[in-house]
Amino acid sequence: MELLVFFEWLESSLLGQAAKSYGGVYAMAQSIHLLSMALLGGAVLTTDLRLLNVLFRDTPSKVVSDNAHTWFKLGLIVVIISGIFMVAGVAVKVYYNSFYWAKMAALLTGILFVFAVKRPLLRQDHGQTAPWILKSVACASILVWFTVAACGRWIGFS
Amino acid sequence: MINELLLSFAEWLGSQPASQSLIGSFYMWNWIESTHVLTLMVFLGMLFMIDLRMLGWSFTDVPASKLSAQLNIPMLIGFGIMVITGLVLFYANAVHETQSIWFRFKMIALLAAGINAWLFHRALNASIGTWDRDPVPPKRIRVGAGMSLGLWALVVVMGRLMAYDWFDCTTPQSDFINWAVGCNVQ
Repeated sequence: MELLVFFEWLESSLLGQAAKSYGGVYAMAQSIHLLSMALLGGAVLTTDLRLLNVLFRDTPSKVVSDNAHTWFKLGLIVVIISGIFMVAGVAVKVYYNSFYWAKMAALLTGILFVFAVKRPLLRQDHGQTAPWILKSVACASILVWFTVAACGRWIGFS
Repeated sequence: MINELLLSFAEWLGSQPASQSLIGSFYMWNWIESTHVLTLMVFLGMLFMIDLRMLGWSFTDVPASKLSAQLNIPMLIGFGIMVITGLVLFYANAVHETQSIWFRFKMIALLAAGINAWLFHRALNASIGTWDRDPVPPKRIRVGAGMSLGLWALVVVMGRLMAYDWFDCTTPQSDFINWAVGCNVQ
């Protein structure tokens, strides 16, 4: 119940009013959301395909994952900022949308997974981690970010 | 003339039973649409990684030729999926998209991005031997990579705007816009 109050407040806030009033700005926020999703996805896939030994077999996996992580962080920040703006315009509607909550749960899982599991592991020498662990991390990473994006797309359909 | 031709082609597509059942199917349509959008992470994601290297902003410790050769494969797979799903989406909703200003702009942006990609690869192949390991590529390559990022971003923006009906044929608007959108066809 308290959450609903927050969503009602968000929709009536200046941000919510701006998102409602300016269709062109809203469409740009959606486009930026998609572009940063692509950046985030590209960084995730590049790292994970390296960990799975699909790409860059002759380049150290640490070089690939360290480079990609910078862009992952940028993609994540822009996705979240543009996402907050998008939610503000339709806050009460998404409050009642189960795919929105599925997406938030997946997103939280993804963020925790990256910063509590994946990065601490990949910051070390990759040779010290068993290959099957690195491969499992890569599979889990692809799965969680695919889930975030797929639930996000389905918010608009439900 | 061109508007008449485009519209009669679109009407012919739209009159087919498969087209009508696609647009009428909630799950089929939404799954294809979702695949089209989610594949952005593969196609555009890989393109971003390549272009960021070509700008000298990322993966500077990996030779440019190696990075582009490795990421080209998933990028082209993603592109193939986007083209196929895009064609199916057009087939399912041909008349509406033919009379969408955003779809028209998207096709122009796509063409421009394609021409830029072709020129970029020509310049890349001609010069890569001289700077492959340099962290920052020559200016010509950086300009091409920047244009690539800009043009593909424009394609995405136009694609997103296709969901908005601001210039649909049902909206009262000037003759010029009606012509640009392909409305008022006899």
